[in-house]
Amino acid sequence: MRTILTLIHKDFSLFIRDKASVSLTFIVPVALIYVFGQVFGINRKDTGPSGIPFAVVNASANPAAGQLLNALRAESAFKVVTEFKNPDGTTRPLTEDDLRPLMKQNAFRFALVIPADLIAEKRFGLRLRILSNPRNDIETQTVNGILQKVIFSNVPELLGQSLQSRARDLVGQPQLKDFNARIARTVADTFGVDAAVVERDIADGNFGLRRLDQLEETPPAGAATGSPASTTTRQDVFSQIVKIETEQVVGQDVKAPAATRVVGGWAMMFLLFALSGSATSVFDEKKAGLYQRLLAAPVRRSQILLGKFCWGVLVGLVQLVTLFLAGQLMFGINITGHLPTLAVLCVAAAAACTAFGMLLAAIAPTPQAASGLATFLILMMSAVGGAWFPISFMPDFIQTIAKFTIVYWSMEGFAQVLWAGASLTDLLPILGILTAIAAGVMAIAVWRFNRGTIFG
Amino acid sequence: MLSLQAVTKRYGALTALDGVSLDIARGEFFGLLGPNGAGKSTLMSLVAGLRSPEAGTITLDGRPLADRTALGFVPQSIALYEDLSAEQNLSLFGSLYGLRGRELQARVTAALESVQLADRRRDPVKTFSGGMQRRLNLVAALLHEPKLLLCDEPTVGVDPQSRNAIFDFLEARARAGLTIIYSTHYMEEATRLCSRIGIIDHGRILALGNLDELLTRLPFEDEITFPATPATAPFAAQLAGQGALTTEEGTHCFRPPAGYKLSAFFAQAESLDLPPRLFTSHRPTLEALFLHLTGRTLRE
Repeated sequence: MRTILTLIHKDFSLFIRDKASVSLTFIVPVALIYVFGQVFGINRKDTGPSGIPFAVVNASANPAAGQLLNALRAESAFKVVTEFKNPDGTTRPLTEDDLRPLMKQNAFRFALVIPADLIAEKRFGLRLRILSNPRNDIETQTVNGILQKVIFSNVPELLGQSLQSRARDLVGQPQLKDFNARIARTVADTFGVDAAVVERDIADGNFGLRRLDQLEETPPAGAATGSPASTTTRQDVFSQIVKIETEQVVGQDVKAPAATRVVGGWAMMFLLFALSGSATSVFDEKKAGLYQRLLAAPVRRSQILLGKFCWGVLVGLVQLVTLFLAGQLMFGINITGHLPTLAVLCVAAAAACTAFGMLLAAIAPTPQAASGLATFLILMMSAVGGAWFPISFMPDFIQTIAKFTIVYWSMEGFAQVLWAGASLTDLLPILGILTAIAAGVMAIAVWRFNRGTIFG
Repeated sequence: MLSLQAVTKRYGALTALDGVSLDIARGEFFGLLGPNGAGKSTLMSLVAGLRSPEAGTITLDGRPLADRTALGFVPQSIALYEDLSAEQNLSLFGSLYGLRGRELQARVTAALESVQLADRRRDPVKTFSGGMQRRLNLVAALLHEPKLLLCDEPTVGVDPQSRNAIFDFLEARARAGLTIIYSTHYMEEATRLCSRIGIIDHGRILALGNLDELLTRLPFEDEITFPATPATAPFAAQLAGQGALTTEEGTHCFRPPAGYKLSAFFAQAESLDLPPRLFTSHRPTLEALFLHLTGRTLRE
């Protein structure tokens, strides 16, 4: 044991003296996690896209088209452009002819043309034209989705007008007017409202959907009206039509949900990089003849390997805890409340990652090969294991492969602890899997070390 | 003290050591002389316990080599942690041999002083010159005061001044009773340092004894050198069939066969108008012996 402690102390002394290693293990990952956090908008209230330049040409005289334009302006995802800037600094309204040249100059990637015949009698539905430069597929789909949401949530009467228009074409204006009047009278008789108002609303395409967003749920006694929840209800017509009640069963108390979901995956990726980097130290020691000197002393191969393993676990544990604590400071993740359980999980994750680094050193013929192989495998494991995207987004076979990665099981464990507040007993299956991975990978590494030339 | 009996070591199809038997007495400064690839490092690694022989036995004081603290091993490379200080390196290696506390500190200090590195004790090894690193590499194997020191070509790449310092250090240790096995392919080192020399090639000990004993195996008492110039070229061509002639660094070296008459040598030289002052007679060296035994030079 004393020999192993001496070897660990040696690795510690080497580590402390190597400012680059200290920086790459602790400072760089913390800085990158901060940058990633900003890039992915962690802790931002509105986590969706914002400020996408979006040109709108409104050629319609329909008042609802104006409402649509205002709704688009109010949408934070878009930065609506409606004016063309002349070379002399003056402006004029954009026309459809302006759009294509400007899009080719990358002034904006999306444009909406609301034509004069937004609603026509000869067809059902709205006529809108979207011009796009879909160089980013996700952005294009996002823009389309937001546009649909804005239309149906803010100007539902456009659909009503379309129906009225089509009906006028099919049955003629007198019969439609008669139909609307009958409906209005029935509504007025039934609900005691003004029949003329109802008939005018029907003619304008307002079948009452607009009224839905003016309804308020009966507030509890004493509650202030206009609370954030009721405001949201008024603004979203379709949430009034389809009432979905959501109940968060797990993670209600999580303070920083977005950060809690992702920081574990990032931390695992950096841990893998740090520990695989330490694999090259095995080659350095071999090249310097240090293993000859150590093995000529009363030191066994198993002690050298165990010393390396213990050092790796120690560094991994400290790195993970440091990164999580940095996550607490930067993003408000609750770490201190779960520290003992998290520390146990970090030991298991660090053990698995250290074993991975040792295996790389055991199977790679040169430090360069080890480094290249490490980069490939770490990026693969991080992507497949869910460090970058939720694995539910991935095909079934990738989801199956994910379950063979250290990243997946570590992230599952982190989610259990930080999201669900799992106890040590709850964690036992994941700890068992990580420990089994560590033991299995380490066994292969030791076998390869004994057959290879590292100690030869 | 150390005994190797019929030791054989193979690497695949290559036989690195072929039935080597060797006895080294306590206090002996034994030189293992041979060219690169002769089997010196393999023999050292077997004695150091880094590898196991396929056949044969190695014993120290009559017992199998189990107690590693009895040995000190100086690897061919500078086996030091270059980012650590001299003191940290020695403390580490001393700790691995079970030294602790004040005793360890005292030995580290003494070791650094013995190789004139006490004033650099806290400097990282990577800031040392090659010679300083070699001295530290050597002394790192002696902290635990072993009975037997194995030096595997410890002066490779060392400047002459540092080499002499290492020689002085080792000679002082040998005088103090330390048993040393010293492998080298420099005959000058073996000649200067070693009380007994084993010449090794292709995994076999070809000759064993002190310098005088070894040189008596040569069939001639002297070797004659003369400048390799265009004027001496015809003479060298004549001599080539009469004995062993080697040429190195602008000098021909002629080693006559047994019974060769030197008068015939000088008669031929005179016939080619080569004056006697061109020729120098020397006592033969281990190089000549190696050439005689193997037909090759030590550096081939």
